[in-house]
Amino acid sequence: MRHPSRTNARRAAAASVSLALATAAVACAGPKDKDEGAKGTPHKGGTLTILNTEAQTDFDPARLYTSGGGNVPSLVFRTLTTRNRANGAAGSKVVPDLATDLGTPSKNATVWTYTLKKGIKYEDGSPITSADIKYGIERSFAAELSGGAPYLRDWLVGGAGYPGPYKDKKGLDSIETPDARTIVFHLNKPEGEFPFLATQTQFTPVPRSKDDGTKYENHPLSSGPYRVISNENDGEHLVLERNRYWSAANDTQRKSYPDRIDVRSGLDSAVINQRLSASQGTDAAAVTTDTNLGPAELAKISGDKSLAARVGTGHFGYTNYLAFNPKVKPFDNPKVREAIAYAIDRSSVINAVGGTSLAEPATTFLPNQEAFGYTPYDPFPAGKSGNPKKAREVLAEAGYKHGITLTLTHANQDPEAGPEIATAVQDALKKAGITVKLRGLEINQYRDAYKDVKAEPGFFLARWGADWPSGGPFLAPIFDGRQVVKDGANFNHAQLDDPAVNKEIDAINKLTDLNAAAKRWGALDKRISAQALDVPLFHPVYKRLYGKDVKNIVISNWTGVLDVSQVAVK
Amino acid sequence: MSTLTLRRRPLVLRRLPGLQGLGGFLLRRMVSAVATLLAITVIVYAVFYIVPGNVAQITCGERCSPAQVHQVAAQLHLDDPVYQRYWDFLRGIVAGRSFSTGTSIEHCAAPCLGLSYRSDQQVTELITAKLPVTGSLALGSLVIYLLLGVGTGLLAAWRRGRVSERLLTGLTLAGTATPVFVIGLLLMIVVCGQLQWLPFPQYVPLTEDPEQWAWNLLLPWTSLALIEAAKYARVTRAAILETLAEDHVRTFRAYGLSERSVLGRHALRGALAPVIALAANDFGSMFGGAVLTETLFGLPGIGQALVSAVNVADLPVVVGMVLVTGFFVVLANLVADVLYAVADRRVVLV
Repeated sequence: MRHPSRTNARRAAAASVSLALATAAVACAGPKDKDEGAKGTPHKGGTLTILNTEAQTDFDPARLYTSGGGNVPSLVFRTLTTRNRANGAAGSKVVPDLATDLGTPSKNATVWTYTLKKGIKYEDGSPITSADIKYGIERSFAAELSGGAPYLRDWLVGGAGYPGPYKDKKGLDSIETPDARTIVFHLNKPEGEFPFLATQTQFTPVPRSKDDGTKYENHPLSSGPYRVISNENDGEHLVLERNRYWSAANDTQRKSYPDRIDVRSGLDSAVINQRLSASQGTDAAAVTTDTNLGPAELAKISGDKSLAARVGTGHFGYTNYLAFNPKVKPFDNPKVREAIAYAIDRSSVINAVGGTSLAEPATTFLPNQEAFGYTPYDPFPAGKSGNPKKAREVLAEAGYKHGITLTLTHANQDPEAGPEIATAVQDALKKAGITVKLRGLEINQYRDAYKDVKAEPGFFLARWGADWPSGGPFLAPIFDGRQVVKDGANFNHAQLDDPAVNKEIDAINKLTDLNAAAKRWGALDKRISAQALDVPLFHPVYKRLYGKDVKNIVISNWTGVLDVSQVAVK
Repeated sequence: MSTLTLRRRPLVLRRLPGLQGLGGFLLRRMVSAVATLLAITVIVYAVFYIVPGNVAQITCGERCSPAQVHQVAAQLHLDDPVYQRYWDFLRGIVAGRSFSTGTSIEHCAAPCLGLSYRSDQQVTELITAKLPVTGSLALGSLVIYLLLGVGTGLLAAWRRGRVSERLLTGLTLAGTATPVFVIGLLLMIVVCGQLQWLPFPQYVPLTEDPEQWAWNLLLPWTSLALIEAAKYARVTRAAILETLAEDHVRTFRAYGLSERSVLGRHALRGALAPVIALAANDFGSMFGGAVLTETLFGLPGIGQALVSAVNVADLPVVVGMVLVTGFFVVLANLVADVLYAVADRRVVLV
């Protein structure tokens, strides 16, 4: 699961900072000229500055956990397939990158064959081969290079026990390279969504001769339009310049307008937004790839037309919800869970996270996007602001005629699962006779608690994000009975092990027609929802500022944020 | 932690051969410094076993399978007993250590503080990279708040009881009362955003471009100085007034010395001792304590690194950074004691 907006967590700590910023943002921010940044023809040249709070750590394709290859990483690392760089829903499609197509599946989708494009080269001019892609994947299994997504380990034959090429020089037999341009993957079970997985950075070629283990992140060999010039202190300050061996002729996705990319991190989120709004000097050609606008900042900016024009809005597949653990009483009683679903006031929850411009109400677990197979449903209609009357009735049916007292676990400081949302839930449920006690935990303690089946609370705030825009990585980790992890991090909160659900997940995974699969995921989501195992609350909306000289803004539904590979600064 | 004593007559304690005078003092303090730093490392190690959070899981990522988490734990030696890990840590400081990068062996020379769990960087390298940033911040702000603080304190003592003194005292109090992230952010908004006199701060190494180094640090220095100066103004003012009330000052005045001379040469000298002690302590603790300033201005220093290391349970980095902070506090205390004795002859070093 990805967290594209993790810097929000820091904003909570610096709420007063944001507030101070907001009061002053308009006063000082007005750009001197009325140049409409996003418009005009993009040209090559210039330096794009990226202002971030978090460092671009672990800049090694084996270690990165990205959705669709990431934003900055995708400038340096090409993969077998990649995300389509287009606005909105069109950007949720997967397209070929180093490969000539999306792969040829065997009849049951357990064997996937890819052919590499001709003439693709590394930054040193040497050719990219299929053996390098195999090696790149293998090294992501090494304990020294942990951090990536779990799918390769689960899907590849022999993946579960493979310790990586440093300990097992023989490599993975399930990845074959019959010739320098062909690579074949053998999977444990049918996986129709394999082309989506092949967008992750683990599918980046790494030549064995250049691999220096944990040091590789300092100067990874580029296959993309930019190469690493310097990487200070694990991604604190990253400078990229053009890779002259990259050719637009065999890369239809990356535009690479700027000559140079300067990634600066460790900045306060309020300061980043202040700098982007002031947009002076090099900040005029600056963007951020990790800092959203907060409610107070957004309110002030929306009052200034020239500033408001420089705000990019995006939708990433993400759902914030109330999770139940039916192993804990009284949540074993479906009627109790249903009563809570009826009582929820989504308007007040959305207000708690900053209002309708930063969140959309959710009644489905799947994000409200076509790519996920979004099928509108609302099994326990609560309306805009809750249905306490119906909730009381259901609660009475459950045997709690005179109300009930419950505990809601949340994080102490986290805009996505913090006390603001918890209090909104508490207020709404009170109207239905449900008294909610709040149990706030320190963030690491909270994360440990809800992922540990032995310590999992009965009722808590949770969220889930997309590894790629499809129902698979959204529903399987949460509802597949075989993914209940007893001795590690578990995300199947309800610990649901329903043979019918498991069977349908397997059936959909066989489909290689992604549109047909999407429809089935949507239907499955609707079917599971009848059990009231969670109460969807909202889907977040991302708002980010960019500098006044920044052109060619592309925000796909895949990432929900501005794509740096498309941006021009001239 | 200060061990200074104020006595009317010089009195040398501990008449042991070899442990007298400044040499003996330094030796004793060095032994106690090492003991203090060792105690700090024990405490940090102990605290890490109490706080929640599975280090291997955090390092590996939240979607890592139990099998993979075990691999990572073994890789980081997290499965070793705590005393073994602590012993390895101590040995590394004296004799250095070796680590596998996967493809080769990396030697971490003594004094080796280990590798970061998160970035695989040597902690000593990390500290070397961050120390100049924090050092620049601490040193620059020290100069400004000493000038500002002592100057204001002197002025306040001189203008005692008048409107201007009340105004100055009020202003310095307001400085102390305002959090650094408010002062800093407001300064940035006005000076960098509206007036555009300075660029938004971005650390430039002194060795790279001294002029840009100073321009970029001017705001962080000023923000810190505005907060610290008040303390020095109050201490200076109080110490000067106290000295002015003493007999020898009355004698000077009786001899017909000008008020300016009394204040500037004699009273100020008496006030210097407490200011020095305070400044040395502040300077030392700033190596770990300027977290808010570093975070707000995006200066990649020790404080910022320490906070992010704590968040991801990166024990080697936390221990290393805390050690460095502790070292500077201990060192600053030592310097303070020596300077105190130089400034005030009545003080004896023990």
